[in-house]
Amino acid sequence: MTEAQPKPKRRILVAMSGGVDSAVAAARLLEGGDEVIGLTLHLWDASGAQQVGRCCSAEDREDARRVCDHLGIAHYVVDERSSFRRQVVDPFVEAYRKGETPSPCVHCNRSLKLGGLAELARQFGAEKVATGHYARLRRDAQGLMRLHRGVDASKDQSYFLFGLPQTVLECLEFPLGEWNKEQVRAEAQRYALPNADKKDSQELCFVPDGDVQGFVQRESGPSPQGEVVDLQGQVLARHQGIAAFTVGQRRGLGFASGEARYVLRILPDRQQVVVGGAEDVVCLEAEGEGMQWREGFAPRAPFEAEVQIRYRHRAAPARIVPLAPGSVRVEFQEAQRALTPGQALVVYAGDEVLGGGFIRAKQSRSADCA
Amino acid sequence: MIYLDHHAASPLEEGVREACGRALREAWANPSSTHRLGQSARRLLEEARAQVAEACGVAPLDLIWTSGGTEACNWGVEGLCAGPPARLVTSTIEHPAVEESVQALARRGWRIERLKVEAGRPPGASAIEALGLGPADRLICQWVNHEVGTILPVEDYAAAAKRSGAQVFVDASQALGKLDFSGLVSQVDAFALAAPKIGGPAGAGALWLRRGVELPPRFVGGGQERGRRAGSPDVLACVGFGAAARRVGERLAQRERLGAMQRDFEAALEARGGLINGREAARVPTVSNVSFPGQRAALLVHALDIEGLCVSSGPACSSALAQPSPTVVAMYPGHEERAQAALRFSWGASTEWAELEAALACLDRVLARFRRPLASPPAQPSFSREARSDHD
Repeated sequence: MTEAQPKPKRRILVAMSGGVDSAVAAARLLEGGDEVIGLTLHLWDASGAQQVGRCCSAEDREDARRVCDHLGIAHYVVDERSSFRRQVVDPFVEAYRKGETPSPCVHCNRSLKLGGLAELARQFGAEKVATGHYARLRRDAQGLMRLHRGVDASKDQSYFLFGLPQTVLECLEFPLGEWNKEQVRAEAQRYALPNADKKDSQELCFVPDGDVQGFVQRESGPSPQGEVVDLQGQVLARHQGIAAFTVGQRRGLGFASGEARYVLRILPDRQQVVVGGAEDVVCLEAEGEGMQWREGFAPRAPFEAEVQIRYRHRAAPARIVPLAPGSVRVEFQEAQRALTPGQALVVYAGDEVLGGGFIRAKQSRSADCA
Repeated sequence: MIYLDHHAASPLEEGVREACGRALREAWANPSSTHRLGQSARRLLEEARAQVAEACGVAPLDLIWTSGGTEACNWGVEGLCAGPPARLVTSTIEHPAVEESVQALARRGWRIERLKVEAGRPPGASAIEALGLGPADRLICQWVNHEVGTILPVEDYAAAAKRSGAQVFVDASQALGKLDFSGLVSQVDAFALAAPKIGGPAGAGALWLRRGVELPPRFVGGGQERGRRAGSPDVLACVGFGAAARRVGERLAQRERLGAMQRDFEAALEARGGLINGREAARVPTVSNVSFPGQRAALLVHALDIEGLCVSSGPACSSALAQPSPTVVAMYPGHEERAQAALRFSWGASTEWAELEAALACLDRVLARFRRPLASPPAQPSFSREARSDHD
């Protein structure tokens, strides 16, 4: 009988948000014999009434510190507020003013969080960065790291993680990828983590009250008012700024109607919001821009895959047609509701992320959306 | 673990720990109580007061316990400026405990005159004379800069201010154990001390007031500290402060040895591309503040800690945020990058050269990593292409 060799200790940097998932990730790695270092990015200072918020608040940094104290590991806070503003918040506000519905978590994960953490890991002499993301990494036969969905379909976060370069993927570890949320909660209890009962955050970390319109106005001044019109151009209502609208939205349109009405398009030049019926808000085609494919995959010819067009969307079968570099046309087998400019468009082969980009705003052509 | 953060808190030596332990056993009672146990606590407290007073060459009666250097500075500055607003002269490199009090006074109508310490060089006393101060004006100045160790000529400043009748407060927190107080005491009206800077426990500090100078009471209530600061002082911390103060002479005796160490250490830092902040003028021999251009000191501090070396960037109180060093910003205006990179190594009488050598080895390991970026920056979409420079 051979004795079990103790696993050589690796030094791992764990990105701690203050939430349960990253706390359990840290506890697991520590139990597995790794040298674990907790790290929290200070991204945003909530102000005034927003201070009740999560994830970016002082309270969350304090929670992360308490978890690390509980585990007996070092904890550092790294101030990335200026990068967060420049790389995430300012473009977010700008996108809303352009009538888009941006995907700040994608940009944050890719450019700031994971890219930055991979760099920090190297600087801190750590082999890996671990996070509490629900996603999986697998090495393929060529030795490349590939990104897959987490096992818990309701928590899967691979949608936010496409486009990470190999250099970053090589640095990453997702200890919760094979788990579901119930197991993670149970582990949090087992480790007696001080934040075991903390609720998951639902809103954007820098808009904890969910009032995007109010946030955009605080950041960039009052929005121009405008009109809500139907497909015939008839004015149905006036609005206080296009940032309050997103394609597919049904509530809060500012007028009463017998049948359901949805936002179809937002036209920033005219500050107009175009609404229509359920039959108008579905689309067979989308265009993606800023596409990034996984290493070793550079499609030139059309191919079949599944495409996810927002976080809470079930990836739909489609034909992907590569256009100019970085752009694709997506032809869905079945029409999809609410293709929202600015949202990430992620291409999957089964559980694997092939790549992704962002839905491009179409010019005001209604013909291709019928 | 190598500890080179003595300017934040100098380690408690055995004698200090013993004194605190004795106080824990014998001086837990309320020092204001009249029974014998209260008397026992008071006796230790007064012994400690005498020890601190002796270290500064002042009378114990004129020394008031505070909760630390911050309280002593806040109280000293605001207390001396309790009257109608006039002119307040101060430097550009004060500790936040002084600086924020000064700003509060500015909001109350005091006109602030700044002594600029550009390129690390404080101005001479003629700068005070040129201001033509009057008796209602005040001079508020630190003696030793906490971040880079610059020695400000406060005795000369104070003499010039005195000639015009202006009262003088000196933040001497970083000076005790590093400079000789004998010339200071006759020139100033108040000075502040902090126990952790000489190896005493956090939670004790003191404010010295020239006999006859009265400030509005800090707290009111039980009339402790001869009615000037109500509430029982922290006897354990004060006793530790006293024990640490007994070693001030030994600390001073190490100055030459520490100065030689500082020179060698800084030559080694410069050989590694470091810029020594404040090297243009006289400094205490217990600190080297160095900027490695292009680096973020806040990150270097974490990486060095992981390697087993404790140092700091900026004042300890604000180091969670990556704010550029206020002292270095003031000394080198327009060199924000230099201030972002400012890393403070500070040591004390107990430090040996071998520790500084080991620190250099840690620094080499960390700098090698920081200076070699990831092989290729990840390809970015248009959205964040310009932003990569942030993780340089």
